[in-house]
Amino acid sequence: MITLKEGNWRIPKWNRKVFAVAGGLTDYKKFCPEMKIEEQVMVAFRQMLENNDLKLSPVEVKGLINFLACGEFADHFQDQLLCEAKVTDYLGLDPIYDIGIKTGGATGGSTVLTAAMAIASGYADVALAVGWERMSEVDTRTGNYYIATAACKDFETRLSRIYSAYYAPMAVRFAWAYNLSEETRAKVAVKNHLYAYYSPYSQQPGKYTIQDVLNSPMSTYPLRFLECCAMTDGAACMLLCDEKTAYKLTDKPCELFIAGGSHTLRVADRRDMEIPLLPHETADMYKGLRKKEGQRWPGFESFAASRFAAYFAYRMAGITNPLEELDLVELHDAFTISDIQTYGDIGLRPYGQEPDYIESGDAYFGGKCPANLSGGLIGTMHAVGATGIFSGIECLWQLQDKYDKFHGDPRIWESFGKKKPEDWKSLQVPNAKQALWVSHAGVGSHVTVGILRKAF
Amino acid sequence: MAPEDKITKYTGKPAKILQSEPAMVIEWPRNLAHRHTYGKLSPFFEGLTKGKLLATRCVNSECGEHRLWLPPRADCPDCNQPMTWEELPQPVIGTVHTYARVEYAGAGIELTTPYFQVDVELPGVCTIFKGYLEYGTPEIGMKVQACFRTKDPTNTILDIYWVPVIDDTDRKS
Repeated sequence: MITLKEGNWRIPKWNRKVFAVAGGLTDYKKFCPEMKIEEQVMVAFRQMLENNDLKLSPVEVKGLINFLACGEFADHFQDQLLCEAKVTDYLGLDPIYDIGIKTGGATGGSTVLTAAMAIASGYADVALAVGWERMSEVDTRTGNYYIATAACKDFETRLSRIYSAYYAPMAVRFAWAYNLSEETRAKVAVKNHLYAYYSPYSQQPGKYTIQDVLNSPMSTYPLRFLECCAMTDGAACMLLCDEKTAYKLTDKPCELFIAGGSHTLRVADRRDMEIPLLPHETADMYKGLRKKEGQRWPGFESFAASRFAAYFAYRMAGITNPLEELDLVELHDAFTISDIQTYGDIGLRPYGQEPDYIESGDAYFGGKCPANLSGGLIGTMHAVGATGIFSGIECLWQLQDKYDKFHGDPRIWESFGKKKPEDWKSLQVPNAKQALWVSHAGVGSHVTVGILRKAF
Repeated sequence: MAPEDKITKYTGKPAKILQSEPAMVIEWPRNLAHRHTYGKLSPFFEGLTKGKLLATRCVNSECGEHRLWLPPRADCPDCNQPMTWEELPQPVIGTVHTYARVEYAGAGIELTTPYFQVDVELPGVCTIFKGYLEYGTPEIGMKVQACFRTKDPTNTILDIYWVPVIDDTDRKS
């Protein structure tokens, strides 16, 4: 049993408020030979500076940046250490200090957290959170192996060398413990591929049926290829500021809260622990949770790191009932199962009732708290170092009422060599005030939960 | 012209051009062998090659966790004191906690696909231990027995694997 002491439970507190004001993305694709990674970062950086209705010119905004947090998941794809220095130089931000951030799939979220800490502490007034990944430098199966080195090399990696094989046991156990059907899992894939259809940035858009998903080739049973994210080349940039600078730069700033949690790399080592309760939960809710033999928490069903991050983020932001107070969420749907597992961790449903978030319709556009309107990882991208920044930007644009501007403009589609679909529709959530995003690593080794709140 | 032995010569192999459009893409060979230590866990991996499953236990009386760890770790994460080794009694029988069927594996896989990965609960062990099933179809709650690759060991975690236990008479000796 893991037990924590009082100091471990301290709620993080900013010394001053932190705001997000602008974001930039790239076209996300499996293989981008036409650009080097720093050239792709430039595409995102330009979109951030030039297309976010900032009140100062791009060069003036650049002149305010005094810290960079740089996210890249893995050096071994590019065979390039210190790519941060290449990117900072390429963006013309030398000799401003940049820190390279590495927390696996949560690298993007950790990058935003680092930039936010720089603002909150006073180290910086304007910080750039920038992330990228270039995974096409190796063939897919080598990429699978590289990613699987984010399992324990001594005890796990040799047992599959592909990450779906570390999530599949969770899918099997979750289905057994909490009555999750294959159809519900498939619905997550159908939803996120469909939402990606409306995004010019997306890598895997598609109008699929549940049967299409269930009939697609198997990666590791029970996870099919259409339930898994793909490898991506791409980048993302987010600009964070203190309060005064935020209003100087934009009429539409959003206040930012973000916290993280970590847990052992090996699922095997997750000892039972008491469930940290979210503000709207009571211990009574979980009295029956361990009734099946061998049940433990978080076990193979849940992520303690996600719960820990949500526990802190909700308290930082003063959120007392997430489903009621959040207007949308962007979750780290690397796999359908990890998306579903997260619903319990962040309190969209009590543990054990996660599938109901999908089945009730709450998770869909028009529902109570839609999830992954960006297309998520399954539909749009997983350029790992950029992912947790991309998800945050999609939340920011929703709160700024700019979904249409950044997804519906035919010129953006054309700039990526794509054609805006005739049946394109807006996924702008009306009057969205508060959004949450999750950035998630490993089998739950690192997780950040970020919350953006409209401040205009 | 400098003398021949003073000229810096190119001794590499020209990079192969994989494509020229829309940009030049070259091959980037990378073939290296790392050195990796099992460190204080060496007894565990040596144990597998001798047909033994070794776990660690914290013996600090002031610590709360006295169950076995598998995968082992040399030091207790709760009290940060060194742990002691203990061999699990034979036959090692566990219960399948969960499983997966690997159909598409990454580069370098050393097992024939498809195969079943199993996560096994073991009596007295506070963790759950990942391995693979040599044959049969797993289900949650199924009993499995540990087997060891003592002949031609791989000197890796693949030296332990599991087989189904149908009943007491079916145990592999």
